[in-house]
Amino acid sequence: MSDLTPLRDLLDHHVVGHDEVKTALLLALITREHIYVEGPPGTAKTRLAEVAAKGSELDFFFYQLHRDTRLAELVGDIVLERRKVKTDGAAPGTAGEAERIHQRIEPGGLLTAEVAVLDDISRAPGEALNVLLRILNERRFGAAPIPLMAAIATGNPMDDEYYNEPLDPANLDRFALQLRVSGLIQSGVDDAKTLIDRFAAGSVVEQPDPEPVTDRTTLDALNQRMVEVEVGAAVRAALLDILRTLVLEFECNETNSLLTDRTFLVKAIKILRGAALLAGRSAVDLPDLAALSWMTTFRVPPEAHEALPRIIGRVSRQIQAV
Amino acid sequence: MTPPGPDRRTTELAAPFVELRTALGRVLVGQDDAATGLTLALLAEQHAYLEGPPGCGKSELAAALAALSGARTHTLVFHRDIRETDLLGDVLLSRHHHRGHERLRRELIPGPLLQAEVALLEDLPRSPGEALGPLLRILAERHALGQTLPLESAVATGPLEQVEAPIDPLEPGQLDRFAVQLRLPGLLTGGLFDEAAVLLEREAARQPARRAVPAHTFTTGDTAPRPAVMGTVIRNAAQRAAAALQVEPRTLDAYHRLLDRLRQRTADESASGDRLMSDRSFSSAALRLVRAHAFLRGAPAAAPRDLGAIRYMVAHRLPDEVQEAFDHILEELLGDPPNVTMTETGAQMPGAQSQGDDSDGAAAASPASDSWIDDQADLPAPPTLFGKPPPPAQVDPLLRALVGRIERGRIDPDTDPGGQPRGYRPLRDLDELIDADLIEALLFAEGRLPGAPRTFERKRKSAGGAVAVLRDISASMAGRLTVWSSQVVLGILRVAARRRMRVGYVEFHHRALPHQVGGRLLHRSYSRLAEQAGQAKAVGQTNYEAPLRTALEGLRGGSGRNRHVVLLTDGLPIIGDTTVRRERQLARRLGVALHTVFLGNGDCPPVLDDISLETGGLRFCGRPLAGGGLRLEER
Repeated sequence: MSDLTPLRDLLDHHVVGHDEVKTALLLALITREHIYVEGPPGTAKTRLAEVAAKGSELDFFFYQLHRDTRLAELVGDIVLERRKVKTDGAAPGTAGEAERIHQRIEPGGLLTAEVAVLDDISRAPGEALNVLLRILNERRFGAAPIPLMAAIATGNPMDDEYYNEPLDPANLDRFALQLRVSGLIQSGVDDAKTLIDRFAAGSVVEQPDPEPVTDRTTLDALNQRMVEVEVGAAVRAALLDILRTLVLEFECNETNSLLTDRTFLVKAIKILRGAALLAGRSAVDLPDLAALSWMTTFRVPPEAHEALPRIIGRVSRQIQAV
Repeated sequence: MTPPGPDRRTTELAAPFVELRTALGRVLVGQDDAATGLTLALLAEQHAYLEGPPGCGKSELAAALAALSGARTHTLVFHRDIRETDLLGDVLLSRHHHRGHERLRRELIPGPLLQAEVALLEDLPRSPGEALGPLLRILAERHALGQTLPLESAVATGPLEQVEAPIDPLEPGQLDRFAVQLRLPGLLTGGLFDEAAVLLEREAARQPARRAVPAHTFTTGDTAPRPAVMGTVIRNAAQRAAAALQVEPRTLDAYHRLLDRLRQRTADESASGDRLMSDRSFSSAALRLVRAHAFLRGAPAAAPRDLGAIRYMVAHRLPDEVQEAFDHILEELLGDPPNVTMTETGAQMPGAQSQGDDSDGAAAASPASDSWIDDQADLPAPPTLFGKPPPPAQVDPLLRALVGRIERGRIDPDTDPGGQPRGYRPLRDLDELIDADLIEALLFAEGRLPGAPRTFERKRKSAGGAVAVLRDISASMAGRLTVWSSQVVLGILRVAARRRMRVGYVEFHHRALPHQVGGRLLHRSYSRLAEQAGQAKAVGQTNYEAPLRTALEGLRGGSGRNRHVVLLTDGLPIIGDTTVRRERQLARRLGVALHTVFLGNGDCPPVLDDISLETGGLRFCGRPLAGGGLRLEER
């Protein structure tokens, strides 16, 4: 078991079901990657993010995006500074007072938070979000690094009934982890019964604020340990075989997919290491490859994403046989 | 004349740049060309433009160049709200009381970009035109606000030109300011799996980075800060020495012949991609790069083989096909003695001839199918199926109507918050102060402006647009209908080529058979599609759903209204969803017009009418004429 078991228990205590989202959330906190969760309204997306943030005593920024969202609302106020300066009077009749006008941003919101929840990101205008996503990507604003560990974005499904603009796929790429959730009741899983029973018992009518069970130091330590997790040749060969299958058999290319080198050759290693740590291992093992399917959700065509567990299984068996 | 022997000092000065090249080559896996190109750019004091798919390491490489070169750098990330002051510096508003009235003057104080020796311009195409114009001028002149800039190289990055990208591509004229133009491939999507394996291994072996503040910028190499391999004094001395290098007369001679070849090939190819061989780039900049190339390999003077440096210039200057053949063209030019006569097999490859009378030879070698791109030229001979070609289809009414629709989408730029400023409008909302004229906003805030400050009116043109042609090749299309539909397709391709629209071509029977180029449905390889359109064979049964789905997926994500699908068919769909309800819905949502053309004698299936009416598309039908031709008219 890993150091994050208390946090996982806290998530389980506050939210029923959604195993995958919970694991992916913890993975995001360890690996410092952003996560995008898409699902219908009322599936505890925001609640999970909030519990994770408060349970680990992190500075939390919540923002509900809307179609007129502007940058200033996310990063702080835009300030016009005026300073009096003396002019040199080089040109005739210009000696005297002058003002230097400078525009800058007073950091706030996203720039000062450790965990940011960006709700309904699919509602914000794609182009206006560009800078926001750039900040998420680089984790610095101007020259200054920002304390952000993970941004958790949520969105509604891009079906007709929700009237959303589909997100620019390049924007979605900023979120290394991508999940699709469905409502417990709608999908009729066992957890639905637990959920209803819980409310019937009246035990969660008043949702208390989660008590911190871990802190930034623990998360930092886990993050530091990540690089020590061994990624053996077998796992690397398997990863490459999986990617090769996606490109050659499922014809993923620059048009239909976002199979970028950054995500699948660099970040994938991080995610695998995080998954191993979360499972309490000191080396990445073939089962950890299952975490890859949290990376492909919106990056490859649906049929390729659905086939991924099968591909991982096949490749793993081949590698083991060798 | 004997060339001077290698100056010891020259070799000494070249060494740091060789080291720079080696270090840059280690930053990314499988991007050696880009590393060399950037090194040459800095040595030749030229600007460079890097483009590639997201996540291939463009920014990383540019940042590494800045760090390793030891130059004073400034990084500017472009976005739609970037303003003149971000680029140039702060505004200085001076007030002078002069004979009882106040005089306001607006000046600029040079900002960090103007003091940089290596400037990094990230995501350059995202910048609005207002900011880009002055910037590109400054880059070219290296002079701003009355002072000469210390700028040596500006390195800009941008995305691959794609329909999906929600930005207007830079024009070739703007890109021409960047002498070095490099296109980085994606390792995975480019199928470079060996390189991908190397990168994976490197990531797995990454040493722990012990740091208080975790760094998260994307790196494929070591995350340790890169120490500079040279200082400004050495760098500038090397740049001066490289610029002063002699160019051997035979190199100049070979350069002239190379330019001839490139000109011919560029004129020949009705290929996709830009074509711009400006005097600016191909005189001074090219020769600086050639000299830098020679300098880097420690040569005393630029030899013909140093012309290889030109290939780092061509990404947006030559059509794609010519770029691919560049190394081949150069190799043949350097390998061939100038007087070899043309052999009969040489006609296949214009590059196989050499100088002198090869302009005629090249013209003869160019396939006739290239001429169709010219509006005045005749269509290529229709494919003969019965020995004698059938009378041509009269496709003009269809093309005229289609052109009308295409033009309608192009004339007026849409108001779009992500567009470029094309004028001012009154402030509607206090939020818009951020996009208002700075001085007026200030005066407004002080209550000294009688009205509200003006704010930018941002607009965006539907860039280029796209048209996808879906052609029924089911068994019933055999014979004359095949020939006629080929002619219709060629006509549409011609219209698209003239407007530089992207085209997609999907043949379908029970399945959709898209003809992609470089993995994309929409592209500008008009001649390849024209060739393809002449070869269609009629087999199978009709399915509307598959091709419509394919085309709409290809058009998805693009912006602007100017997107069209033309469906050419002769019969009822039998396979798939025959009502194509979902595709109609999707087309409506994407704003794609579905035009339908029904060929043949039978009754037009009602579903075609529904498709066009719902999506605002045109409806045409082609009736065989008594004399054997085909006339297209609106249904």
